Formats: sequence, C-alpha cells, structure tokens
Amino acid sequence: MKFYYFHLMPYPMEHDAPSSWVTLSNRHYDPEVGHALYNQYLDQFEHAERLGWDGLCVNEHHQNCYGTMPSPNLMAAMLARRTTRAKIAILGNGLPLRENPLRIAEEIAMLDVVSGGRIISGFVRGIGPEYFSTAVNPTHSRERFYEAAELIVRAWTEPGPFAFDGRFYRYPFVNPWPRPLQKPHPPIWCPSQGSSETVEWAAQRRIPYLMVFTPIKRIAQIYGEYREACERYGYQASRYQLTVNLPIVVAENDEKARTIARQTALWVYHTGLRMPLTFWLPPGYLTESSFRRSLAVPRKLPTELSFEDLEEGGYIICGSPATVRDKLRVFSDELSAGIVCSGLPAGSHAATLDMMEMFAQEVMPHFREDAGVDETAGIGR
Amino acid sequence: MPSQHRLTVRGTPVELQSGGSGPALLFLHGAGGAGRWLPFHDQLARRFTVYFPKHPGHGGAPAAEWIEHISDLAFHYLDLLDELKLGRVHLAGSSLGGWIAAEMATMVSHRLKSLALIAPVGIKVDGWIYPFLFAMELPQLVATVFHDQAKALALAPGDLTGIDTLAELYRERAALARVSWNPYLYNPLLRRRLGRITAPTLLCWGEHDQVSPLVCAEAWAKEIPGAELRTFAASGHLPHLEEPEAVAAAVADFCGAREVAR
Repeated sequence: MKFYYFHLMPYPMEHDAPSSWVTLSNRHYDPEVGHALYNQYLDQFEHAERLGWDGLCVNEHHQNCYGTMPSPNLMAAMLARRTTRAKIAILGNGLPLRENPLRIAEEIAMLDVVSGGRIISGFVRGIGPEYFSTAVNPTHSRERFYEAAELIVRAWTEPGPFAFDGRFYRYPFVNPWPRPLQKPHPPIWCPSQGSSETVEWAAQRRIPYLMVFTPIKRIAQIYGEYREACERYGYQASRYQLTVNLPIVVAENDEKARTIARQTALWVYHTGLRMPLTFWLPPGYLTESSFRRSLAVPRKLPTELSFEDLEEGGYIICGSPATVRDKLRVFSDELSAGIVCSGLPAGSHAATLDMMEMFAQEVMPHFREDAGVDETAGIGR
Repeated sequence: MPSQHRLTVRGTPVELQSGGSGPALLFLHGAGGAGRWLPFHDQLARRFTVYFPKHPGHGGAPAAEWIEHISDLAFHYLDLLDELKLGRVHLAGSSLGGWIAAEMATMVSHRLKSLALIAPVGIKVDGWIYPFLFAMELPQLVATVFHDQAKALALAPGDLTGIDTLAELYRERAALARVSWNPYLYNPLLRRRLGRITAPTLLCWGEHDQVSPLVCAEAWAKEIPGAELRTFAASGHLPHLEEPEAVAAAVADFCGAREVAR
C-alpha cells in the first residue's frame, strides 16, 4: 500500500458562527499566526518525505478556516523545490471555478517539469460553498468540469496551436508552453464523494477515484460501483485506482489516540465543516436525480456526527499502532484500496511530527508488500 | 376559481392558470410565486382575463434546459402569447416576473397595451447590490422579503418532508439560478434598453422593500419614459401579496384606463 501525506492546512480556531465557510469573517485570520502555521505545515510535508511517505497531497478551498489553500498549485510549487522523491498530488484544482482553465494546464505543466515528473493532477468541481465564494453559477458546474477537463488534457497532449470552442471556454489558440514532462500527461485523479455520474466519468478514463471523508460502508459500495463500471469499459480496476482520504490518529494506546482524535478530528467535522445546508447544496450543483438519491438515503451532516459515529463508521482511524494496522488492513485487504491519503491531526506542530514518526516506524512498514511498484504507471491517463 | 391548462409552447411544456373575464392580462410571477393564485389575482380577474403561467422548472412544472438566460424566458412568453393567439395584452409581473416583463417590453413594446412592474429586479442600480437570497436560511429570507412576516405563510410550501416537494423546490432554485446567479438578479444590457419602452408603464413598490429598495424604483422610473411610480406603505418586496386590494386596484385602474383610452 502507498501512503500519501494529506494536509488541509487549517486555521484551527473555535467560534460560534453558523458557518466556517463563505461568511466567517476573515478578521478572525491573524496573518502572524498564519505565517507560523503555513511554515509548520510545509515543514511537516518535507518531514513526511524524509520519513518515507510516497506522496504529499495539497488541495483547494476558498474563504474558510477549514483549509487555507485557495491556491494548491502555489503550495505544490514550494514542495516541488523542497522535496526530491515524493509524488506531489494536487487534489485538486477546482476546474469549474476557473474562468481560464487553460491556466491550470499551464501551471501543472510547469510544476511537472520543475519537479521532474512528480505531479498528480486532481480534477475536482469544488464543494458547494465554493460556488458562493467564487460566484460561478453552480448550475454550470458539471458541464464546466467536463469541458475544462477535456481542454486541459488536450492542451497537454495535442501539439499546439489548435482552437477550442466549448460552451464555457473558447480559445482561438491553445498552445501552452511548457508541456508536461510525464507522458502522455501527469496522472489525473478524481477526488469525490460518490455521485454516480462522476464514478462513471472516472472509470471510463481509468482515473483513480478518491473517496474523501466518507464512511467505510459507503466507500465499499462506491468502490463496487467503480469496479463494475471499469469492467463495463473492458478492464479491471487496479488497486491504485481505489484511493481513500481519511484522517488517522495514532498514539501509544487506544485511549490516548481517542483523546487526541476527539479534539482534532472532531474539530474538522464539527467546526471546520460547519455550514448551513444552503452552502452544501447550491442550486443545480447536483442533478435532480442525484438530489433525489441523496434524500432517499438520509445521511448526517458533518456537524451531526458524534465521535462514536466517526470512529465506528470508519470516517477516521484512531488507536495504538496495532489498532491502526488492523483497521488499515480492512482498507488494504478487504477494500483493495491501494493508496491511503491521510492527515495526522495531532494538535501542535511538535505533536504532529511525533505522530508522523510513530506512524512511519510502526504502521507503514507493515504495508510495504508493493515497495518498488510505481503506483502511477499507466494510471490516470 | 381559475382553470388549469397544460399546453406546449414550441416544444416546452407550460402549466397555466387562467381566470376572469375582460381584456387579456398576462401575469408573470416571482420566485416562490408559481401557481399561487392569490387574492390579488382574484381582484384583477374581475376586470381582466388573467393568464398566469408557471415559469419552467418553477412550482413543480417541468424544467426547460434550454432556458439559460433571462431573455430566453422573455422569448418563451412571447411564444406563449402567440400560442394563446393573444394580440395586444396588458403585461404585469412581480420581482423576477417583472424583470422578464421588462425584457419583453424592450423587445415588443408595441404589443403591450400597458406594463405593470411590481418591484422588478433586473437592472444594475448604482449604490445598490441585491442581497444574495440564495445564501439565506428561511428565517432570514422571510425577514428580507416581507414587511409583515406573517404574510409569508401565503407562500409556504406544502409537505417539506416529502422527497417530491424537496426535489421540486431544488428544481425551482436551479431554474432560478440558471438565469440569475451571476450577474446576480440583473441583465447588464437591460437598463440601457428600457428607454425603448413606449407602453404606458406603472411601477408598484413597497416602501419597505429590502431586496430592490426605493432607490431601484427611482432608477426604473428614470429609465422608462413616462413611467408612473406608486408606493405602498405597508409592504416589503411583494406588495401585491402584502397589500393585495390596494395594489390590484392600482394595477386594474392603470391598465383599465389604457383600455378605455384606445
């Protein structure tokens, strides 16, 4: 199994406002604190490479305290020069949020060339509140996503210049310099929460499907749908197409791990992801049939999940190294997930570095049957 | 009581209520007003044959994917007038419906005997940014739209636990967002076209409107040649709902006078 170190780069604060997104005033953001946080977070990424993590994951979110990376490509750029081995997975750029998605093709190509071909390029739609923050019409989200993805892949692979004339994006000349280093292009990943339209889109293109912050039962179900779709397209899904993103907290014993996770993982769900339903579900973001399906299987909002829900539902993993190993076995053996993207919310910077070391020494080595395998070979393109 | 009709206009299904007798008056509703025949409509129906269609995707009506701009809705209603074989008509609309009506008036003013706009949105007004209603939870929405919040009950949806009701509301919000999310609630081209309107125009405005306040009314009155502005002291954004008798009388008198004048 491959391990990718995932970071939200949160601005961890407590507040009583109804939303941590869009409307939480940025007067709460102290740039002095932010300076320290950003640099600690980047140190953690560099530490992760030294400790043996296979990849480093950054991601895009806007106007919130949950994750302060409005430009994941900037963070990837810093990592490209400060690391030498690990993949740099951008999970991802919010394609529909851009007015000029050709810029994404250009930036990813730059990063790929500078990093020596270590870039993984996630394509996402962005979550509901992003449509309030960017004012992009959410009823265009899906179509803009497909159109931008097509544009970017063509810009990477077809010799330019050529003209592109879409419904939302139109260019008389598509001819980006540089071209990416990886052939035919950097692997694409599709981080998502399981809408059937997206599963289909990813499976058809051999694009790894990353389940983000989802209970394990639903992961199993969506992986099943994804595998089935791959078979319909005439191939077997590789385990490196089945990826998962979940927070892991490891400590000397289960009790201590729970105490930490209760603080840190619960902050992500109860504070970081706190927002009203209107932000989660902007109009037209889901198709009407997806909307109906989401109502038919009632799910709790993040803020409605108790710690027990998170632990028992498999939204998070926490425990002693032995417990964490057992729980990860379920992902590696039963779900055949090939890549785990995980943040280690430990609290302070020092505690995070300690937790990373414990994970690298006492968990990771037990899952290295595939050492030497390039998880990106032939996948996501 | 109005009668219900289902028809197809150039391939787009339309759900329409009509009632009353007299000259034809097409009424275009605002967000949340689809299919709600109110005391206001009853009163108009005493002097006019009121045609009251649902916008595609609103109030449970099927969505029309081709509608992606406010002018699509304007053309849709011009097509409806043709389908109904109505020649010249009185045209009235509230909020979003007023916006559509104004777009139509800039296209075919000669086809309108009169135009009654009830707190329309649709133009950019210096010094005013429409509050972003899509982001509001229900209590804030009600407080923003209504002067007397108790009046909001008239627009309350039915069974909010039913999947069909929720899916219909989601469909309506999507239909609304398709034409109004950005630019939010206006067409940048409309304002400079308002000068083309030659139909006699009445503007009805609630004095407590917080969506499109009186500063907007003044802009509309300035742009539409000869437009007459009437304000209503006990209303927010929906004066025809908050003060139905007074607003219906104002509209009926204004339109009726244009009927006699011809």
